[in-house]
Amino acid sequence: MAFSDMMSYNSMKQPLQDYQAPNQLHFNPYDFNGGTILAIAGEDYALIATDTRLSQGFSIHSHDNPKTYPLSSKTVLGCCGFHGDVLTLTKVISARLQIFEKDHNKQMPTSSVAAMLSTILYYRRFFPYYTHNLVAGLDDDGKGCVYSFDPVGSYEREVFRAKGSASSMLQPLLDNQIGGKNQQGYVAQPLPLERCVTLVKDVFTSAAERDIYTGDSVQISIITKDGIKNERFPLRRD
Amino acid sequence: MSILAYNGAAIMAMKGKNCVAIAADRRFGVQAQTISTEFEKIFEMGPQLFVGLPGLATDVQTVFQRLKFRLNIYELRENRRIKPKTFMSMVSNLLYERRFGPYFVEPVIAGLDPVTSEPYVASMDLIGCPMETNDFVVSGTCSEQMYGMCESLWEPNLEPDDLFETISQALMNAFDRDAVSGWGAVVYIIEKDKVTKRFLKTRQD
Amino acid sequence: MECLIGIQGKDFVLLATDTISARSVVAMKNDHDKMYKLSDNLLMAVCGESGDTIQFSEYIAKNVQLYKMRNGYELSPHAAANFTRRNMAESLRSQRSQMVNLLIAGHDKVDGPSLYYLDYLASLNKLPFAIHGYGSLFALSIMDKYYLKDLDFDAAKDLLIKCLNEIQKRFIVNLGRFRLRVVDKDGIHDKGMVHAEPDESTK
Repeated sequence: MAFSDMMSYNSMKQPLQDYQAPNQLHFNPYDFNGGTILAIAGEDYALIATDTRLSQGFSIHSHDNPKTYPLSSKTVLGCCGFHGDVLTLTKVISARLQIFEKDHNKQMPTSSVAAMLSTILYYRRFFPYYTHNLVAGLDDDGKGCVYSFDPVGSYEREVFRAKGSASSMLQPLLDNQIGGKNQQGYVAQPLPLERCVTLVKDVFTSAAERDIYTGDSVQISIITKDGIKNERFPLRRD
Repeated sequence: MSILAYNGAAIMAMKGKNCVAIAADRRFGVQAQTISTEFEKIFEMGPQLFVGLPGLATDVQTVFQRLKFRLNIYELRENRRIKPKTFMSMVSNLLYERRFGPYFVEPVIAGLDPVTSEPYVASMDLIGCPMETNDFVVSGTCSEQMYGMCESLWEPNLEPDDLFETISQALMNAFDRDAVSGWGAVVYIIEKDKVTKRFLKTRQD
Repeated sequence: MECLIGIQGKDFVLLATDTISARSVVAMKNDHDKMYKLSDNLLMAVCGESGDTIQFSEYIAKNVQLYKMRNGYELSPHAAANFTRRNMAESLRSQRSQMVNLLIAGHDKVDGPSLYYLDYLASLNKLPFAIHGYGSLFALSIMDKYYLKDLDFDAAKDLLIKCLNEIQKRFIVNLGRFRLRVVDKDGIHDKGMVHAEPDESTK
């Protein structure tokens, strides 16, 4: 092909490029609604705390939206991240728990709730629920237990864990105050409930100072063999 | 990944009662690989004035050298020690000169006024936007963790010994939750008539 | 792919570099010398972009010599390392920066032996031992475990062989022989070539 032919061939091709270029439209199925949750396992109790703010970007949707969900008389779920997924996930879990209760005529133990949650999350491995989860409750021996999850179902039993928007502010302090990290001659001792509650109020107050997605108030649920008790403590509202 | 997190660093400064403290980790790494655990990030700019430079290690060294040069010229011209606040303006000015091709450091300044011994802490972003506070400043790859620790542990009017304990615990527990900072720490406690430098042994992972 | 290793001992610094000159996946040469003599007690090992390595290290070497002629005395290792760093830092924000990684080994009458690690971004570190290149992924942990302060030449060479063995065993690229030199109070000494020991399993 002569050079001049090539030129005309190319110029003929030019307008076609407008039609050939693929044009992808994006839809983002996720959002982030903030919120922080924190759970601590004691000797004969478990504690799970949540702030009550629900926000999106710079606006606050609700001042009164705790992100803990009681699942039975001895298990509480903490769930935050994308609120749409939180609602769906909690609905799926409570449906599964009702089926279990009807089938076996007993409440699902906390360890089994955790295992079940892991499979529910992993079933959405390639389109995950955008939720950070904590399960707190009493285990089969009546001891406090906390299970923490990543959004796709990897989970682990722990003594204390913070999740959500201010987790990176809370966790190092818990490492220090409960885990005894960087303290010479520290001897691990059972953590009294009163000290635990005070600590939770302190760390949430601190987090609310710096994290705009955490605030309004903190709701602390204390799970003992006698059931679940809730307590509220005010935080910054700005 | 951000250039600011290429080498990893954690620095904070706190005010106390007639004293200030500044502390930093000691790691120099290239992303996940630790090369040195004796890297200097806090520099003495006067008997009672220190600057901490977290960020890209090459710029830490360049910015320190250029600041030291400007400071020497200032002190020769004026024949007196620089005030912390003036020094802060000098740092800010140096960084803003590179507004559209910045040095990748976010400095922390701590010192006592050479005349009144008034405590002073300040920090700024990589293009020199300053922030002076009355409590503490943090900067580095684990700034969220440092804010969490400082906000909980710090209280007004700490004595030098208590300030040392507070800043050490705040820094160590913060960088233990960060993969690219830590590996030992250094703490300076600056008082009217003395400066105490202490190295902290911390976990090596 | 290239590998530079430096170990500081009691009164000397050891430098070892691989000898492969590679273009793409082809080894063009296997006796390449990646070390440059800066002065009587200063030796620099270089790796990186092939044009830059030679251009930059010759520039530094000649300027160090020029300084000596002008002033009648040599730059100390510390001063030479900082001079090199400054040059690299200035080129870093230019149109085309120098893509070179360096180890600078020197001996000073006052300061004794010193080893400087300088990466392509111009971050300078004074270290007891240092490795540039993929070899560091395998050999740095060997150094951490076996390096002792104030070791003598034989111990340093043993440590180097340990590192080379690990690199030979775990790194898919064969780096072949390493050139070995030592800097001490008497100057720079050629210590020939070193190999990794044959692997037990292939004997």
